[in-house]
Amino acid sequence: MQAAIARYPKDRQRSAAMPLLHLWQEHFGFISDAGVNWIAAKLGLQPINILELVTFYPMYRQQPAGRKHIRVCRTLSCAMAGSYDLMQRAREIAAGDPNISVEFVECLASCGTAPVCMIDDELHENVDPHSIVDLVRNQQPIVRPRPEPHRLEHRLIFKNIGRRDWKIDIDTYVADGGYEQLKKALTMSRAEIINEVKTSGLRGRGGAGFPCGVKWSFIKPDEKKPVYLICNADESEPGTFKDRYIIHEDPHQMLEGMLISAYAVNAKTAYIYIRGEFPEGAQILENAIEEARAKNFLGQNILGKGFDCEIYIHRGAGAYICGEETGLIESLEGKRAYPRIKPPYFPAVLGLYMCPTIVNNVETLCHVKHIIAMGGAQYAQLGRPNNTGTRIVCVSGDVQRPGYFEIEVGKVTMGQLIYEMAGGTKPGRMLKAVIPGGSSAKVLRADERFKIKDRQPDGSTIEREMFIDELPMDFDSLAAAGSMAGSGGVIVLDDSRDMVWVLNNINEFYAHESCGQCTPCREGSLWMKKITDRMMLGGGVVEDPKTLKTIGDNIAGRTICAFGEACAWPTQSFVEKFPDEFAARAKKPIPPPLPPELTPEELIEDRQVPVRPLAHDPGWEKAGAAGTI
Amino acid sequence: MPNETTSPPQSVNVQIDGVWHQFPKGTRVIEACEQAGKYVPRYCYHKKLSSPGNCRMCLIEMGMPKMGPDRKPELGGDGKPTINWMPRPQICCAQDVSEGMGVRTTSPLVEECRRGVMEFLLINHPLDCPICDQAGECRLQEFSVEYGNQGSRFLENKVKKPKNVELGPRVTLDDERCILCSRCIRFCQEIAHDDVLGFIDRGSHTVLTAHPGKRLENNYSLNTVDICPVGALTSTDFRFKMRVWFLKETKSFCTSCATGCNTLIGSREDVIHRQTPRENNDVNSSWMCDYGRLKFKYVDSDRRLLEPRVLQNDKLTATDWKRAIANVALQLKHFGGWNIAIIASGRMTNEEMWLTSRIAKSLGTQWIDIVPHRGPGDDILLSEDRNPNTNGAKLLGLTSEPGAMIPKMVEAIKSGSLRALVVLCENPLELGLTADELRNLPAFITMSISQNESTDLSTAVLPSSAFAEKRGSMINGDGRLQRLNRAVRPPGNARDDWEILRDLLQALTDSNGVYTIDDVFRQMSEAIPQLAGLSLTKVGDLGLQLVNIDESPAPPRAPKEDDIELAEAKRPPGR
Ligand SMILES: Cc1cc2nc3c(=O)[nH]c(=O)nc-3n(C[C@H](O)[C@H](O)[C@H](O)COP(=O)(O)O)c2cc1C
Ligand code: SF4
Ligand code: SF4
Ligand code: SF4
Ligand code: FES
Ligand code: FES
Repeated sequence: MQAAIARYPKDRQRSAAMPLLHLWQEHFGFISDAGVNWIAAKLGLQPINILELVTFYPMYRQQPAGRKHIRVCRTLSCAMAGSYDLMQRAREIAAGDPNISVEFVECLASCGTAPVCMIDDELHENVDPHSIVDLVRNQQPIVRPRPEPHRLEHRLIFKNIGRRDWKIDIDTYVADGGYEQLKKALTMSRAEIINEVKTSGLRGRGGAGFPCGVKWSFIKPDEKKPVYLICNADESEPGTFKDRYIIHEDPHQMLEGMLISAYAVNAKTAYIYIRGEFPEGAQILENAIEEARAKNFLGQNILGKGFDCEIYIHRGAGAYICGEETGLIESLEGKRAYPRIKPPYFPAVLGLYMCPTIVNNVETLCHVKHIIAMGGAQYAQLGRPNNTGTRIVCVSGDVQRPGYFEIEVGKVTMGQLIYEMAGGTKPGRMLKAVIPGGSSAKVLRADERFKIKDRQPDGSTIEREMFIDELPMDFDSLAAAGSMAGSGGVIVLDDSRDMVWVLNNINEFYAHESCGQCTPCREGSLWMKKITDRMMLGGGVVEDPKTLKTIGDNIAGRTICAFGEACAWPTQSFVEKFPDEFAARAKKPIPPPLPPELTPEELIEDRQVPVRPLAHDPGWEKAGAAGTI
Repeated sequence: MPNETTSPPQSVNVQIDGVWHQFPKGTRVIEACEQAGKYVPRYCYHKKLSSPGNCRMCLIEMGMPKMGPDRKPELGGDGKPTINWMPRPQICCAQDVSEGMGVRTTSPLVEECRRGVMEFLLINHPLDCPICDQAGECRLQEFSVEYGNQGSRFLENKVKKPKNVELGPRVTLDDERCILCSRCIRFCQEIAHDDVLGFIDRGSHTVLTAHPGKRLENNYSLNTVDICPVGALTSTDFRFKMRVWFLKETKSFCTSCATGCNTLIGSREDVIHRQTPRENNDVNSSWMCDYGRLKFKYVDSDRRLLEPRVLQNDKLTATDWKRAIANVALQLKHFGGWNIAIIASGRMTNEEMWLTSRIAKSLGTQWIDIVPHRGPGDDILLSEDRNPNTNGAKLLGLTSEPGAMIPKMVEAIKSGSLRALVVLCENPLELGLTADELRNLPAFITMSISQNESTDLSTAVLPSSAFAEKRGSMINGDGRLQRLNRAVRPPGNARDDWEILRDLLQALTDSNGVYTIDDVFRQMSEAIPQLAGLSLTKVGDLGLQLVNIDESPAPPRAPKEDDIELAEAKRPPGR
């Protein structure tokens, strides 16, 4: 416990609230009221401060779970691969055995091996209703060999992922040339490193695509306050599953990238915010940190070059919003992950503990290592202008060979990605739509025509009309196509998919994950879900598509954080691009205004029951929100 | 909020709805708009608290000056900066004005934003207005009329949340009405320094609550009710008693301690229903303590004295004011000054104290003091000195050290050398005197608002007025002169204290002429340098800071022993 507290600055004990809650739950199985009071007293907080956390982060339980706890992924890629059937089966297993409990959880960042579930701390891939029975019994995860790199890939970051001869220990890494770039970086000046990163054109791989070097240069060279570096390892945007492999299979690459970056921005303390559903990953990183410390790659006076840097791990607890950088910072401070308003709380100015803070994605930080190795200018030769380097694209959904592919940015088209690399659609199926950058990206129809400005090497641009197959997989092209490259999670939908069902699945994710701080997102995300719920159950009224669209319009651009867009874009784009499917599920006449009021049940059942004072939730929805079934 | 206050105050030019204005640097945009006459609706913003920007009601269009290649603002035809409008609406509650900023508070986009937020807030809001205490001062109700949509297109089940939650002894919560603005949480953290409220659960299911083991029971809890923009937090005391639009609001201040928090007294038909704090940044900011707020019940007590009474045939008998005053004057005139003591009160107004000191002079007594009242204080508002006007008593010469003379007086009464006692708004039984000792006093005059054991022992009882029933001024612990206004009329034949004292003074000095309370203040201001040139009107709603209030006139000198012995004792008419 003391060790957990010691990872945070002295006057910032509150940060230890989440680690202590994890420890308590590991020991006692759940967080009792006594636990809340004990932790509050230990950290000099009020019990309400702890209760706020326990009820915000779904991984904390206030009731004991079974001795075996199964978490089935509910989110889109897994749902398309049959996770609802899996859940059904898991529930049956649990019903017959008091030692087993189950819950539906949101995306576990393994969408390429959907459907997945976790049994206690272990992830199981490609699970089906039959295999889950054996898994529950003997719990050995089935390890499938990782595919060989595709010929269209350019492996830099993922060079070691799936390598037969690869082990995650530091000796293997060092023997492979590891930590050489750290040595090199420590001989360079900070400004030189930032310059190389600027020259490289590296854009953030976490979602927003912000130029990394520019972000770093917001830190004043003569900054008096401590500077923090945070590695965003919360990977939770549905459809994204790349950081998982780096963390689990190449932890030292990540640490090296972090150490170089920490040196560049003069951060003496760095945190890795890793999502709670990666317990094994957190352990791997802890070990890697100790290995690196033993070799003086981190700690005091690193490699005798006078640079001190500590890296600490902070585990999340199941809240997607902790991926948003200011929500992450609040969470790291031991609070509910309520994103902060910008202005004034730009992390580079007023970040962690109100000190300048750089937040970067795992993959972004790994690229830094390769930029030091290659030099910024040479790195910039990879990819396309303004879209440099390589990036890992994750393909899931209705393709034959879902998985990760590291490509030169923009050098592979959507068609190549889906048909060549991911094996194309399933037999007899046609491509219907693609969500190109994580589930929050706007959906693209397979038969759309996109007007894309193509930048020529001489700097001029020409506009071309493109089919979806021709779209280059890069930031600017996908933005020009009206969507985004986002986190690199490409979700493929074939012609068997009901678009109202797909949207409903996405809406449920966002309604569950909204932090609830600001009005439009809090109320709008749940409202959109309730409408698509009702439409799926046969209670759609003619106004629904229009209502859905305007709800989205009233959220996007009006919220504290970009979750607003993330939850509005799917609705806005699905309704706009698949009007017929939405109209077909929205046929009932609009009920007369209040009173008499029709409850959703009445709309669904087609009964006409007049005047009813107040309609209220049946309760299942609340159960869903708490994450237990 | 980072706020640079080191540089000297400067003005910046800001365009609001097409008109250029100047504001001091550091002005919040939302305040600037209000000052320019463009009120921007808001829920979460409260100028005394931090700004989380969570309600999104204050979205406006904002722009910054367009910069030319020389990095200076480009000027338009009117010589003013050209504004680059941001494509997205911005909140104006968390940002300060800056040079050349442009704001639009009324545009189609802004109106659409407000309509959108209103709709979101209302979809899960219960249809409670007919039974809600906040009705009439509910921002949700107000803004939905002004900025909302007609009719609802929400066909779903509303989120169900706890109703009627007792957050603490004085505050009740209806979570379904809560719009999650977090004002109450921030108040508890930032002002009351008692971090007991918080949100639990997530998303639309978020509810406000207190931990069952640590409730909202600090002495400032009722301020959360004031700042809750909707009817989610209600005063358990006030709940369902009265529709607010029936209340008459009178500006006053709390007289329960030396701080003198400024208040509004809400009353209807001579009954007080509540007190709420009134903003005064020199005194109480926007807050008041629960102790002071709820201390008005005694005003409406059934022990109130309704009639002046004098002792006739060993019985206190009701009479009219003329006879009562004449009786009291007669009783007192039987004694020489050194036989008479006056126990006055630090709860009296300056005017009352002034008249009291003149009465003392006319009686020739220097036996006069006020009774100290003390209790635990805090670092927020509550003062240890529970007398609201100790400073007035010092300035007007009733005491130099409150209570210093009381033990001597008590001693002299016990020994029989003090034979006439006048007690104004205090209870001498609390000072160590016994009922027998009081009963044996030949003259024992009390002025009081309600009946108690000591009034029953008096030779004359003069029913007076509570703080909410009278006008007058007091000087708070920081030397600020403040004014009471009459919110309700005193019951029965009870009178304003200063009138009683004026009539008594006239009866004692055989002068006459009816003068007003303003005349009393004028006399005071002529005699007391610190009050020179002031009048009750000039005191204003927010009071006036006095200077040098410590330099009060020479305090009454304690009487010498031989003075007392020489004093001639006459039988008063009473006993
Ligand atoms: C709702 C939301 C969720 C996010 N989730 C993640 C995430 O899981 N991982 C991540 O690296 N970035 C995530 N981001 C982006 C971060 O806010 C931030 O931009 C990023 O970590 C910056 O790193 P980069 O510049 O290296 O991309 C999310 C953003 C939003 C708005
Ligand atoms: S947009 Fe949503 S997730 Fe972001 S702060 Fe607002 S409520 Fe929370
Ligand atoms: S109870 Fe009132 S003040 Fe508190 S969060 Fe809810 S609406 Fe805001
Ligand atoms: S602090 Fe004093 S003056 Fe203010 S409300 Fe409380 S008792 Fe009254
Ligand atoms: S792991 Fe199931 S959807 Fe991502
Ligand atoms: S008043 Fe500005 S966001 Fe609430």
